[in-house]
Amino acid sequence: MFDQFDDAVERVVRHLRRPVSIDPALDQRVMQKIAALPPPSRGVWRWLTARREVALSPLGALGIAAAVAAAFIGVWRMRVTPPPASAPDSALHGFQFVLVEPRAVKVSLVGDFNDWDATRTPMHRTSRDGLWSAVVSLQPGRYRYAFLIDGRHWLADPAAPTAGDDDYGAPSSVVTVGGGGS
Amino acid sequence: MGTSDAALVRRVRAGDTDAYADLVARYRDRLGRYALHMLGNREDAEEALQDAFVRAYRSLARCEDPERFGAWLYGILVNRCRTTGARVARRARRFVHDPAALETTSLPGPADQTEWDDVVRWALARLAPESREAFLLKHVEELEYEDIAQLTGAGVSALKMRVKRAREQLQAILREAEHV
Repeated sequence: MFDQFDDAVERVVRHLRRPVSIDPALDQRVMQKIAALPPPSRGVWRWLTARREVALSPLGALGIAAAVAAAFIGVWRMRVTPPPASAPDSALHGFQFVLVEPRAVKVSLVGDFNDWDATRTPMHRTSRDGLWSAVVSLQPGRYRYAFLIDGRHWLADPAAPTAGDDDYGAPSSVVTVGGGGS
Repeated sequence: MGTSDAALVRRVRAGDTDAYADLVARYRDRLGRYALHMLGNREDAEEALQDAFVRAYRSLARCEDPERFGAWLYGILVNRCRTTGARVARRARRFVHDPAALETTSLPGPADQTEWDDVVRWALARLAPESREAFLLKHVEELEYEDIAQLTGAGVSALKMRVKRAREQLQAILREAEHV
């Protein structure tokens, strides 16, 4: 393994491989934090990532490609309602997320703030033009989110910053709620 | 034989929050070693580790293969260490890979090193973060390059180069410290 490896570097490796003992109190801190969280839900993610076999004719594939392209072109997002300037940092801010998706039958907003649960924040169609809206109360902080179109299309917000620290591979966007605005 | 990771993950998903404590206890020291060596101090390491455990719980539904919970958790910790490391660097502390900054850092110099542990930490801190990350995952945590590529998002060739560079830098640093 250590081809031409200097003895001193090998000695460093041996030193670093020694077991390390982390304070067991960390376990309690973790469990206290998760006690305040909802239990992890599997339903939506399983549905989103389930492997499916789909039979398509060439014409059908072209149609779907055109529909997806149209959806992306037609989608934009959101202006958020700024919080009151005098709101204290710890106050809840009402954020309005807006999406234009004329072809959607239903749209859900999922994110850190609702544990990525598609049932908790359905968006409401507010116009014939396909304007979807949802208002979420958020404390100051940084939140990742995405839109779930018709329960199956996972859509990061193309008009918002991409979450660069996504740990899991699925695209999402990020919004930062400050004490004095977003 | 103890309960498998997959069984514990299933229990947590079914609402048995206490089962998560078993997973935390199982991985605390193992992952803590990586965080400690990567970040260089216990306070930052424990913060990154705690954050990784909480994030993993929140996203447990997105753990596709419960049998590989440990590898999945590792990926989250690697990201948290990067975030914490970047924040530490912004505070202009010891891990800035900047020769000028290193000249003025408060790290003890080689002449003051009386303990091998201090020498090792001092040498690791002088590696670029991406080199230190690759070196630790390969030679200390003994992961395969393909697994490291999945954890870090870097290509295998790039990782091999980083590890090679880390070895060479460590040799030079240790030689400089006259401990070779």
